Order: sequence, then structure tokens, then C-alpha cells
Amino acid sequence: MVQISNKSNSLSLEWKQGFWATQFNAMASPCQILIDSDDQTQSKSHALHLAKIAQQEALRIEKKFSRYRTDNLIYQINHSKGRAVHIDEELAGLLDYATSCYNISDGLFDITSGILRQLWKFDCSDNIPTQAEISPLLNNIGWNKVVWKKPYLTLPEGMEIDLGGIGKEYAVDRSAQILNSVTTHSFLINYGGDLFVNKPRKNNQGWMVGVENPEHPLSDNRLASVTREPDKLYELSQGGMATSGDSRRFLLKEGIRYSHILNPKTGWSITQAPHSITVIANTCTEAGILSTLAMLQEKHAAEFLEEQNVIYWCR
Amino acid sequence: MQLNKNSMSKSKKTSQSVSRKKPKFIRSALSIATSTMLASVAPVVHAASDSTWEVDSAILFYSETDRITAVEPVVKVRKEIGEDEYVGFRIVADSLSGSSANGAIATNSAQTFTSPSGSSYTAATGETPLDPSFHDTRIALNGEWETPLSKAIKGIFSINASSEYDYESYGVAANISWDFNNRNTTLVTGLAYNSDTVKPVGGAPTGLNTMSATKTTQGSNLNKTVTDILFGVTQVVSRNTLMQFNYSHGEDDGYLTDPYKILSVLDNNGNLISGAGQYLYEKRPTTRSRNAVYWKTVHKFSEDVLHLSYRYYWDDWGLNSNTIDARYRYELGSGHYLQPHVRYYQQNQADFYHYNLVDGSTPQYASADYRLGDMTTTTFGIKYGIVLDKGQEFTARVESMKQSMGGSNQGPDVDAIILQLGYSLKF
Repeated sequence: MVQISNKSNSLSLEWKQGFWATQFNAMASPCQILIDSDDQTQSKSHALHLAKIAQQEALRIEKKFSRYRTDNLIYQINHSKGRAVHIDEELAGLLDYATSCYNISDGLFDITSGILRQLWKFDCSDNIPTQAEISPLLNNIGWNKVVWKKPYLTLPEGMEIDLGGIGKEYAVDRSAQILNSVTTHSFLINYGGDLFVNKPRKNNQGWMVGVENPEHPLSDNRLASVTREPDKLYELSQGGMATSGDSRRFLLKEGIRYSHILNPKTGWSITQAPHSITVIANTCTEAGILSTLAMLQEKHAAEFLEEQNVIYWCR
Repeated sequence: MQLNKNSMSKSKKTSQSVSRKKPKFIRSALSIATSTMLASVAPVVHAASDSTWEVDSAILFYSETDRITAVEPVVKVRKEIGEDEYVGFRIVADSLSGSSANGAIATNSAQTFTSPSGSSYTAATGETPLDPSFHDTRIALNGEWETPLSKAIKGIFSINASSEYDYESYGVAANISWDFNNRNTTLVTGLAYNSDTVKPVGGAPTGLNTMSATKTTQGSNLNKTVTDILFGVTQVVSRNTLMQFNYSHGEDDGYLTDPYKILSVLDNNGNLISGAGQYLYEKRPTTRSRNAVYWKTVHKFSEDVLHLSYRYYWDDWGLNSNTIDARYRYELGSGHYLQPHVRYYQQNQADFYHYNLVDGSTPQYASADYRLGDMTTTTFGIKYGIVLDKGQEFTARVESMKQSMGGSNQGPDVDAIILQLGYSLKF
């Protein structure tokens, strides 16, 4: 009998004149590791080894921090009913980080805002929640209501945490750290559009990265799966790159486009921001936070990014 | 590192934004926080790629009420010997004992039969005659080699052998699968050939001859070949849904009769005839042409997985069947899962199936084997599993099966309980 193969762990490897391109799926996204090389035959098994390591790391992080699973610490925390939960070293680092980001951003970055997704379903429909629905939820949002005293986290009942806002970027940076410890090759990590490059390639050039133009398929969401041509190519030699906003996830009502990025203070979707913002920074996580915070500045996004002195694109 | 201000996108300074408070410079603070966080845990290579051995073991207990009991341990070992290249080995041992229906019907008086080995046994009044001498031990070995044949094509080649005291089987199989359409579609074709030898105890009785200790036989070593070919397509329908469709065709050739099965011969009043010829050995055709279509879909919900399949089988013996099978893997969290299982099987009898023969009829082929008659089998089961760290998994499965006879098949129902314990390990 033919067995249906376990496609979740599959990985593909392809030689592309000057580098190995490997692909797998994790965190609900296509993931890519590109490995620079001038010798196809000699580097093949090393490239495969690197890809497998990165895949393991991406799947590990997905498993550990996904809010869709029932077998991880996130689930325990979100079902702790007000009791203290013991937090391991890695999550503690992320919670400390979430605390810093919350403080630095004056509360605009808040990992307790995920419960708003109960009301906001970004399916390109015109299904906008009402203020009467949103208001009660705001009582259950606010990192300042949480007691985080390492290693114990106490989350008031009814609140939830969600690391989805930084998970993919974190996985990129962690995978990069691991790959750096086992290879001297230049590589590019791309987890669903969030990237990191460790160093320039052997030819001293960077990796050419396409910055997607999200404008094209706006009117008809059936076109959303069509592969779009990048409208800008950028040479990334070192550092992280992340994009916030997504032309494929929004709500449209009476001509107003509601982005899938939510303001944790108001509970409302942002409507005045660019459709997408791409930022380059030292790490992918940093790029991700900057692009998200920029989105939350709405029409002042570009102004905010100018002040941060980073390379960015607003669409 | 070049991180200069980029001029590609200049914000338009509107009057509103000019009058607004200048945005805060927070990048340094974010940078420090990010590097602190990333340095808080040392990177560790989690190399699942290092686990090249997979071991699966299981033991199955099968028990029919008042009939056959079987114990079947299985051990499978698979090792990665190269990039996407594996060798595998499997050993199965079956041990069966108990009683098996011999094909004769229950009557209103006691019946005495001669067993294949020459001894005799008696079925009491009103009881379905069961041959109590049924016992067997089978050892089966299988070796497999899986290798990429090109970037998108994979081959699996295997050989198998099995032996029990009255049956031997040797076979080879090849299975080629081709991924395309971004690995979203897989085409499969498989070919398998088996050459079997049947060595009935006391020789193979001549079909439709009288059951007797001094039966005439048609030899003691009879051959049978089984050839199967399969075509299949597996399609990724969406991120969470996989669908598979197969067609298989098989040709059996040789001695396909069950040498131990008989038929009762009744007179016009429905009573067993008296004297010689009460019981005749069964006789089946020497060829069988089999077909099956199979559809399966696997859908993954956010955590749980549903497996649903349907199979339609038909052959030139006139037998056909429908099978519906559903399993739902329910994740309990922390690696525990429960998997309920429901299976429904419905079979329409072979043309030459007879519950009994009538005196004077001269069929070309006849069998009273209840497994060729009208029948419905329902199975309900549940499996519990726990996935542990380091690639270990324990499972326990219990199922209850009920076979109900129908149509002209007036034999009693057969109930069975199945229990299986499994342990698998990767290292």
C-alpha cells in the first residue's frame, strides 16, 4: 500500500549557480536557507546539513512558542487561571525582551494584545467589530497588569500572551546564531519574508533580496496567491530585514482598509499606516520590532523611521 | 556593515506632522534589548538529522470468541545510509491456535469429521462444526531499500519471504514515486510478485470429492503466484489537506482452494444426506482477477488529524466489497493523544459461495468458506499514544470487531477483540 509521506519534515535542495537553495515549511510559512558556495559538489552535504539544522531550529521554536499548540509553556501560561507559572531560561529572555519593548514603545508593543484576534478575523471581508465588543477585551490587555518576576510569571485570569509578533524574526536570528557556530559560509535565512544575512558572499557582494510590491492584488483577494514580481531589488550584505503589514490580510469596509496590525491601547486595527513597511537592522528581531512600531505610528510611520536612522521602505 | 539612511522613501512633511511632537529615537534602546535577549541563551544545535536509526516494535493479540487466538510480534528497523537513502528490515512472527469453521453447517444431530491429519472431531447438535486442530506458526521477513533515483523520483525495492508448516511464500516488489508540481503532487506506481507453495497436511484433496481419511489428492506441493500492480496519485490540496487515490489490479494463478474447507450436502428436505458424500471438499477456480480503487484524505486541523478512506474491491469471482475507515487523532496536549477508529466493511458473496450444496447438484466450483459469503464487519477501536522526547513513542490500541453474516450465509457471527502495544524509537 502506498503510504502518505510525512511532508511536514520534507526539505528540498537545489543548486543555483553560486549557491545552494534549500526549502522547507515551518511556522505556517515557506522557509529558505541560501548557502553561498563556489563548489557545487564539495558543499552539497554541508548545505544539506545546515538546512536540516535550521529546519530543526525553526520547528523547535514553532513547537515551543506557538499559541496553537496544547503541549507547550505558552499553553500552560494561557490556561494558568491566575496561578504563577515557572518559566524556562529561553522564554524568560523573551519575556524580559517583551518588557523592554513594552516600556520603550510606551505600551504600543504588547504581547498580551493577542486576545483581540477573537474579534478581528482578517479574511479580507468587511466584518469589523464594534466598540461595544472591543471595550470589554481591553481590560484583559496590558503587560503592566502581568507579574513577571523571573522565573515566575503570573498572568491574571482572562489574559493571554502571544509571541506571534516576534516569533518568526526570533527564529531567524536563533537559526542564524546556530548556523554561524557551524559554518564559515555566507548564508541567507528567509522565514516567510523575514531575513538575515551573516556576512558578504565570497565574491564580496551581498544577497539580492526582492522587496515585494503589495499594491497589485488589492481589489481581488482571489489573486492573492499569485506570485508577485518584486518591485525593488536590494543587496543585503549583512543584517536582518523584516516586513510588517501584509496586503493579503486585511478587512475592507466603506473604503477604509483595516490592517491586521492592532493597536493594543485602543483595540482597533490601524487604518492610516502604509500597507507594508520593510526595515533593515542589525538583527531580524530588531527589524521586526521597528517595522511593527512604525506601522503603529500610522501616517507618521515614515517620520518615525527617519528618526531611527534605518533603511526602510513604506508602501 | 552599511546602514545608511535610505533616500528611496522620503516621508512627506505635512503641516500636521510638522506641528506634531518629534518621534522619539528608540533604536539604540531596542538594539540593546534585542542583543541582550539573543545572548541570554546559548545557541544549541538540535540535530534531529543525526538520528539515523528508527526502530518500531509492536505486539498484537487477536482473539475470536470460541475460535482463533493469535499473537503477533513485529519488529521493524530502518536506517538512513545516505542522503534520503534507507535500508529497512522487518520480522513478523505469527502464532495462531484454536478452532476454525470447516465449512459444514450446524445440524440437529451430532456430526463427526476427519481432520486433515487423519484424526477425528465431533460437533455437537446445533453447533457450527469447528476444526479444533487449527494451529500454526509463521515467520515472515522483509528487506527494503529506499533510494532517490533522481531529484524528484524515489524508488523502494523490497524482497520478502515467509514460512509456516504448510505454506511458503517468496516475493519481490518495486515502488517508484515521482514528486512534481512543487512537490504538491506525487505519482506512484508499484509492482509486486509473489510465488507461493501450498503444502496441505495429508495432501491437497481433489475438489468436490467426498471428505474421508482415505481421500484422493491432487498432490502435496501446489503452486500459486500473485502479481499486483498499483497506480496512485497523492495531491496536496491545501496546507492542511492531502488526498490520495489509488487503483490496483492483481492476478492470482494456481492453487487457490482452501484444502481444509468442506461443504455439507443436504437433501430436498434440508437434511444432511445419509451415507457417503455428506461432506465434499471445496473447489475454487485456479485464477482470480482482482481490482480495487482506494481514496484517502488526511486533514490536519490546528492540532488534530482526521484520516478518512474508502475502498471498493471487485474480482472475477463475483465478490465485491466496500470499506469505509475513519480515524481521528485527538491531541490531548503534552504529547498524549487519543485516536478513535471506526471501520465498516460490507462484502457481497462470490458466485460459487454456497452455504451448503443440495444433493444432485453438480457445480463446477463451490466453497462454503464464510469469508467468501455475504458479510458485514464493523470495527470500533481506540488508540492511545504518547510521544516522548528523543523520538520515542508508546501506543496501546484496543478494538472490537463484529462479523455478521448475511444473505444465504447463515453462519454464526464472529466476534473478535484486538489489542496492540507498540513502542518506537529513533536514535
